[in-house]
Amino acid sequence: MAASNVQSCYQCGKCTSICPMRRVSKTSPRSSIYNSNVYGLDTKDIWTCLTCGLCPQECPQQVDFLSFVKEEREGKKYEEIAHKGVFSETAALMSKLNGSSVVTQEQKSENSNYAYFPGCVDFLDLFLHDVGVNFGEIATSSMKLLNHAGIKPKILPLKCCGHDVLWQGKKDVFDRLVKYNTKVINDSGIETLILSCAECYRTFAKDYNLKPKVVHISEFLKGTGANHKSTVTFHDPCRLGRHMGQYDAPREALKASGAELVEMAHNKGDAMCCGVSSFMNCNEQTKAMRVLRLDEAQATGAKTMITTCTKCLAHLNCLKNEKEAAKKYDIDIVDLTVYLARQLEAK
Amino acid sequence: MGKVGAVAIIGAGIAGIQSALDLADGGFKVYLIDSKTTIGGRMAQLDKTFPTLDCAMCIVSPKLVEASRHPNIDLILYSDVTSVSGTEGNFKLKLLKKARYVEEDKCTGCGICVEKCPSKVPDEYNAGLSKRKAIYLAFPQAVPRVMTIDAAHCLYLTKEKCGVCKKVCAAGAVNYEQKDREIELDVGSIILATGFTPFDPLLLKQYKPTHPDVITSMQFERILSASGPTQGHVLRPSDGKAPKYIGFIQCIGSRNPHIGRSRCSSVCCMQAIKEAIIAREHDPNLDITIFNIDIRAFGKGFEEFYSRAKKEFGIKFITSRPPEVQVDSAGKMFVRYEDLNEGKIKNMPLDLVVLSVGLDPSPETKKLASMLGLDLDEFGNVTSLIDHPLETNAPGIHACGVVQGPKDIPDTVAQGSGAAAKASALLATERGTLIKEKIYPKEKAIPEQPRIGVMVCHCGINIGGVVNVPAVVEYAKTLPNVVHSEEAIYACSKDNQEKIITLIQEKNLNRFVVASCTPRTHEQLFQNTLKDAALNPYLFEFANIREHCSWVHMNEKEKATQKAKDIVRMGVAKSNLLAPLSTSKVPVTQTALVIGGGIAGMTCALDIANNGFPVFLVEKEEKLGGLLRHVTSLEDGRRSSDIITPLIRNVMSHPRIQVFTGTQLAELKGYVGNFEGTLDTKGTKHEIKFGVAVIATGANELVPSGYYNYGARNIITQLNLENALENGFEKPPENVVMIQCAGARVPERPYCSRTCCVEAVKNAIRIKKETKASVYVLYRDMRTYGVWEKLYREASSLGVVFLRYSEEKPPVVKDSTVTVHDLLIGDDIEIEADLIVLSAPMVAPASNVELAKLFKVPMDKNGFFLEAHAKLRPVEFATTGVLLCGTAQAPKLIDEGIAQASGAAAKACVLLSKVEMETDAMIAVVDEKLCIGCGTCVKVCPFNAPQLIEVEVNAEEVVYLAKKSRINPAMCKGCGSCAASCPTGAISPRGFTAPQIKAAVRAFSGIVEVPS
Repeated sequence: MAASNVQSCYQCGKCTSICPMRRVSKTSPRSSIYNSNVYGLDTKDIWTCLTCGLCPQECPQQVDFLSFVKEEREGKKYEEIAHKGVFSETAALMSKLNGSSVVTQEQKSENSNYAYFPGCVDFLDLFLHDVGVNFGEIATSSMKLLNHAGIKPKILPLKCCGHDVLWQGKKDVFDRLVKYNTKVINDSGIETLILSCAECYRTFAKDYNLKPKVVHISEFLKGTGANHKSTVTFHDPCRLGRHMGQYDAPREALKASGAELVEMAHNKGDAMCCGVSSFMNCNEQTKAMRVLRLDEAQATGAKTMITTCTKCLAHLNCLKNEKEAAKKYDIDIVDLTVYLARQLEAK
Repeated sequence: MGKVGAVAIIGAGIAGIQSALDLADGGFKVYLIDSKTTIGGRMAQLDKTFPTLDCAMCIVSPKLVEASRHPNIDLILYSDVTSVSGTEGNFKLKLLKKARYVEEDKCTGCGICVEKCPSKVPDEYNAGLSKRKAIYLAFPQAVPRVMTIDAAHCLYLTKEKCGVCKKVCAAGAVNYEQKDREIELDVGSIILATGFTPFDPLLLKQYKPTHPDVITSMQFERILSASGPTQGHVLRPSDGKAPKYIGFIQCIGSRNPHIGRSRCSSVCCMQAIKEAIIAREHDPNLDITIFNIDIRAFGKGFEEFYSRAKKEFGIKFITSRPPEVQVDSAGKMFVRYEDLNEGKIKNMPLDLVVLSVGLDPSPETKKLASMLGLDLDEFGNVTSLIDHPLETNAPGIHACGVVQGPKDIPDTVAQGSGAAAKASALLATERGTLIKEKIYPKEKAIPEQPRIGVMVCHCGINIGGVVNVPAVVEYAKTLPNVVHSEEAIYACSKDNQEKIITLIQEKNLNRFVVASCTPRTHEQLFQNTLKDAALNPYLFEFANIREHCSWVHMNEKEKATQKAKDIVRMGVAKSNLLAPLSTSKVPVTQTALVIGGGIAGMTCALDIANNGFPVFLVEKEEKLGGLLRHVTSLEDGRRSSDIITPLIRNVMSHPRIQVFTGTQLAELKGYVGNFEGTLDTKGTKHEIKFGVAVIATGANELVPSGYYNYGARNIITQLNLENALENGFEKPPENVVMIQCAGARVPERPYCSRTCCVEAVKNAIRIKKETKASVYVLYRDMRTYGVWEKLYREASSLGVVFLRYSEEKPPVVKDSTVTVHDLLIGDDIEIEADLIVLSAPMVAPASNVELAKLFKVPMDKNGFFLEAHAKLRPVEFATTGVLLCGTAQAPKLIDEGIAQASGAAAKACVLLSKVEMETDAMIAVVDEKLCIGCGTCVKVCPFNAPQLIEVEVNAEEVVYLAKKSRINPAMCKGCGSCAASCPTGAISPRGFTAPQIKAAVRAFSGIVEVPS
């Protein structure tokens, strides 16, 4: 029996009716399950799925649609991966080259039980220089905040966590990355691995089997001591929210910093997706999703939208900073750590 | 220590009430316990019942009254069981009776306190849609009619303010000092009947359960009810306006393992269809859609009801489950759903959303289970086995109704009776040791001059909303010999029975007319009231101004009032001529005959025998076991022989059961208590005498000739498959296709055979586990109801493929290819199959016709036997002394057949427990002087009551022999057929004599005569 338990599907159609992708395309999770389960047929919907996790949350039969998509994609090649697949190619290369790691400056803090890993911010800066985000600031901000909280973490020489390649069906690449990273992490002697990226967090927590505890940085951010009154809204990344069930920590960190939090129409468990995860697709449909989400953000009246996933940050900013923008949005989209570190500086 | 001849029944819903009545009638003391203030349970909240659309309150209310008046039943209400000790035969229960703050023996139920109470509380009876007061009666027909103060909301009890109820109570019943008190009971057995609580949709926030126009099916039930918050008008709660578009969403809290509720609740599909039909009857402009996954219309008459909903009432059924209820920027509600056939997302605007909420185990069940040491299954039901559906893991403790698993009312009632049979078998030696006979006052002699009392009933608003009741009351006063006339909100309520007794005594009345509903449900109630008032019960007369008037003339109020006056005038005219009637007693042969040696017949025989009565068990085949002999595995994975073999052994070795195999009942005469039959064992005749008969002749699997190429190689039925799975395939199949509804739900056989879906998934799982074959199930609706939804899930997980087909495009079988039109992809699919299994329905044996003639009992249009009442009398025929159970009544699963068999046994034991029985008084009598012995009456009687006998006629100088009709009082039902057809007017039905009818007819034409 497959882990996804698609056989249990009794074709009620709830998933399709609730699918955010369905609002911008003809995709139907129900029909992709049916075609695969009954007729063994592939559907293109497998590749358009955002793996946002909304449908399994609603499925009465507890069909694990995410595992289904992962299983269906495994070993198959998808030609339309966004950014010409440069990020996955980098990960593939990294997985094969000895000693290559995302983190070039290993920081050894001999007596720390903690390690922090910033993820692929450097590569994002390299390839996505036109979206108007300084991804590297997430790493420096995170370190500032952790230090402020009394934590001097080690920086381990890790490779890419493998999130994107895993969801793109490149299990072989992923397995190589897991093997390398697992050894480095387990051998480091740390007790807690801290991540600032929602995708890294989900991946290390759920797709690895690590000795140390895996924690998202938002759990350490309540004590900045800042008291900056501004109105913000929080965009739940699917990896942090529905995948990991972490809705409260980032909100509490924001509130503790003096921010007034206003919620978008869809938030927490039913939050809308940024339109892209794993750099699968960048097209009219995913752009339409972003329009939907930024419309919701705009409607809150907040001038700042906080999130904590580099993909959300990249995609929502990309739309906002388009040269010939179809729609103007008067809202800053900022990473949680960057927002809080700036408050700390200003204090 | 001896056993105690008393039973504690925990839960006073319809299951508990039925158990209580059967045990009490059978000679046991019963304590009927409930944590609520009244008996009646969930059924009392329903508007009507499916599929006959009987008014729920009208059929349950007489049961409530009967239970409360029964001399052997003690109602212990507003009480929780706090501890149980002891063992089978000797239990000690401790209960905490909560303070009502109203003295039960003083409260007259007048309701003045309720009127004056200033504190308002959401009304549980109306599912929170209206308010009740802090001092309240749960509902107008509540039994007992005693008020209760809701301590949490009473201003006096919470803040020591107010105190109004105490001031206005003329009876001095309000007592703020009342304390909870402990009660101890000694009983021999315990029956658990704690039912269900409707699923709370707050757990599914996406359906906006807090939106005023999103309501539960229970709330909609109250909206539809004439006694509900909108008096039966379909209005939406937000603005009190009539909705146009109503959407039902099924499976809210069912078939949803995600929220820990994976079982199907069994009743919600039918409840939704029923509510949709009633709503359409109330307002033909409604546009109603039922969103569902499968419509589970599996019971007797359900599929036909479902068909009517579509064809006659235009109810729409959409196979899709909307994931949420949404509200647009203009505040309009809508649901978004995937049209599976078109593959499109659609929005449907709705004015009212009804969430079809499932049946959760009631909170008491868990508490009691741990107290009693009972195992609960994964769904929270009390665990039982297929072969022992009414027994728990604790000896002496039985369970019935929804506490044992989701089920509808007739199954609940059958189980209620069945649990009574189990408890009484355990305590058989103690029968009659703790009971008292109801003693009525001695009947008064009736003077010549009639003095008539009249009570005109509002029946809530059923009558009062149409007929001007006060005007009818005043009119009645003008009629000859009427000395008193008054109105009543519910004439059937307990306080009004007291009122009638008082009136009869104070005003020296000797006839009483109630203008209300129908004698079918309420006559006995009022007759007993007359008996309580020392009057002969047959001096009571009904004037039906509801069914015959207010219900059919809803929109003509003035004319309806005029007609009500006419009906009352007729009733009064007839009552002038009423005479006291008496019953007689006939001896009872305390032996039963059970016909049919299948699982139902054997169970029934064993239960009757265990209750201490001899049984003749007759089976026409050479072996006992019936249809189950051809089934090889059970739904729970055990082998069917695991249950048949011990059952046969127990039956064969029982000292009180005499088994006749290869035998048929050839001849029958006699009547309840005194049957005489001739058994024919291949030509050898046995004469037997018995008091009751149970028909348990079962059903057969249809030989599906003419369907799906049946007869060709490799096309078999599910029973053939059972056999092959047990004894091995010639060649193990690789591709198996099962076709559901092969010969069922088709014009020539419109019913659903109930069991085939469960049977198919059970066998599909077995194939998957035992072979490597692919299995395809082609179905119309998967009806794996109740807990058996788990088999559907298991089959799916094992990779069984389910493909839905439509009635319009059934699969086509040609050689080894099955072509099915897959609705979901809109294309024809060909499946190469080396084994095609037809799920053929159960059909009634042709021999039912002979048996029906012999016993003069009716059959339904599908050839199954027809029970006395679809809801509340599932194991009885209209003919007293003849019972039925198992698949003779309709297709059903094994545990359901077994429960029914025990239910029939309980009914049999009630009759057999008496040495003699009382006959009806309203029967036909022959004036032999006028009888010419033509025999017409013998021909027309449906009950075999008249017989021609030879008598010697002495006419002065001539003496001759002649045939005369004689009517057996024990068999006559008083139907009047004989009287109507008697050419000489020799036969007269008591209670409906020609002069009485004539007086009524003349009164109708306006002639009011004062009888001399």
